[in-house]
Amino acid sequence: MTVLALLLAALAVLLAVPVPKLLHNAHFRTRSPWAAMLLWQAIALAGGLSMVGAPIVLGLSPFGDNLPAAVSTAIRLTLQEDYVALAELEVHPWHIFALCLGLLLGGHLLLTLARTYVRVLSARRRHRQLVDLLSTPLQNGNEDTDTHVIEHDAPLAYCLPGRTNASSVTVLSRGLLETLSEAELAAVVAHEQTHLKQRHHLLTMAFEAWYRALPWLPTTRYGREAVLELTEMLADEGALAQHAPKDLLRAIALSGESSGPLGAKAAVTQPRGEWGVHPPAEPTLLSGARLRRLLVPQQPLGRSAVAGVVVLSVGLLAVPTGLLLG
Amino acid sequence: MASLGELERSVMTLLWESGQQLSANEVCGQLDEELAVTTVLTVLARLEKKGMVERERSTRPHRYAATATREEHTVEMLNEVLGTAPDREAVLARFIGGVSEEEAAALRRILS
Repeated sequence: MTVLALLLAALAVLLAVPVPKLLHNAHFRTRSPWAAMLLWQAIALAGGLSMVGAPIVLGLSPFGDNLPAAVSTAIRLTLQEDYVALAELEVHPWHIFALCLGLLLGGHLLLTLARTYVRVLSARRRHRQLVDLLSTPLQNGNEDTDTHVIEHDAPLAYCLPGRTNASSVTVLSRGLLETLSEAELAAVVAHEQTHLKQRHHLLTMAFEAWYRALPWLPTTRYGREAVLELTEMLADEGALAQHAPKDLLRAIALSGESSGPLGAKAAVTQPRGEWGVHPPAEPTLLSGARLRRLLVPQQPLGRSAVAGVVVLSVGLLAVPTGLLLG
Repeated sequence: MASLGELERSVMTLLWESGQQLSANEVCGQLDEELAVTTVLTVLARLEKKGMVERERSTRPHRYAATATREEHTVEMLNEVLGTAPDREAVLARFIGGVSEEEAAALRRILS
């Protein structure tokens, strides 16, 4: 069991520090963002399992050769108040300390997840109430999408996930409607609809909580940022399935000027030049992966590479699970 | 008959436009739809719970007013979108996510 605990600890350190550092910039994520997303989810789950599992396994090591047996022995002896047997097991205070550490860490992670979930949900509910009171449904939108317009000059768009797809809403500002062409608007709506349909907010929730729980661990920030970026890439892919890249790019360019503080007058309609394919003139400024892959389309990963990522993800999950149950 | 949500919206619109305290009876009279006063009271109570309406209890009947103007609420709402600091919880997904302001500006120069 001590060896087991050390293996788990090694895995936890590996998944907490070097792996996210390598992965958050890995080039393949721009080629097949969903593959990178799968890997991140596996890393978070496996990382959490091994981080919590290692101290618990170490703490219970006097009680048996594997975790299920050790747990049942520990519970049985405690309930029977069999102090003689307990004394013979030579439980060191360090074992008790490790066990408490593992339980506290696990509880902390689960509680933070629950708290983040509740907080985000109530913030969304509050925001949804304001949307309902302040916006009007978009008239010429199609029926299966709930698109609302808010009267403001700043050109912006976002989506607000609800419990179901039917209760989710895409919000566009009047400023955006006036700035973008119909085709560009359609690309924006398709992007937001992809977020909602693929339920991206659930994929990011655990990373949000992971970051809240362990903000001092630099890699929790990497994970959170990487997963948010991947959801944007996936939503872009959804939009590009039906719309031209130039519409999406132009929509991004024109809605990117609304980041200033509110209250200031925003949204002066830009003069509209002809679209032409220019090489990115300022490569250093266009360093973000999301834009780069729209400007220079990337070849998706080959079949064997995708299979490799899937196997790796399953393996990542299987290792700590196997170590814990084995 | 209009749904509760739609009623809330028309009552709020009325209160925003009037800019003063109204009693449930007055709200009822000024709405386009024919509604029972009890329905209006229900709607006002819901809006009060949401913090959109405040009730003056010193008068009989109670009078209701919007807690803030429509513009103030719009700004509050959009600041949740625009003011998304990097470490805030991701409550909503902004279209421009993952693209910095500088990048968007550079993209605008390329496209124009």
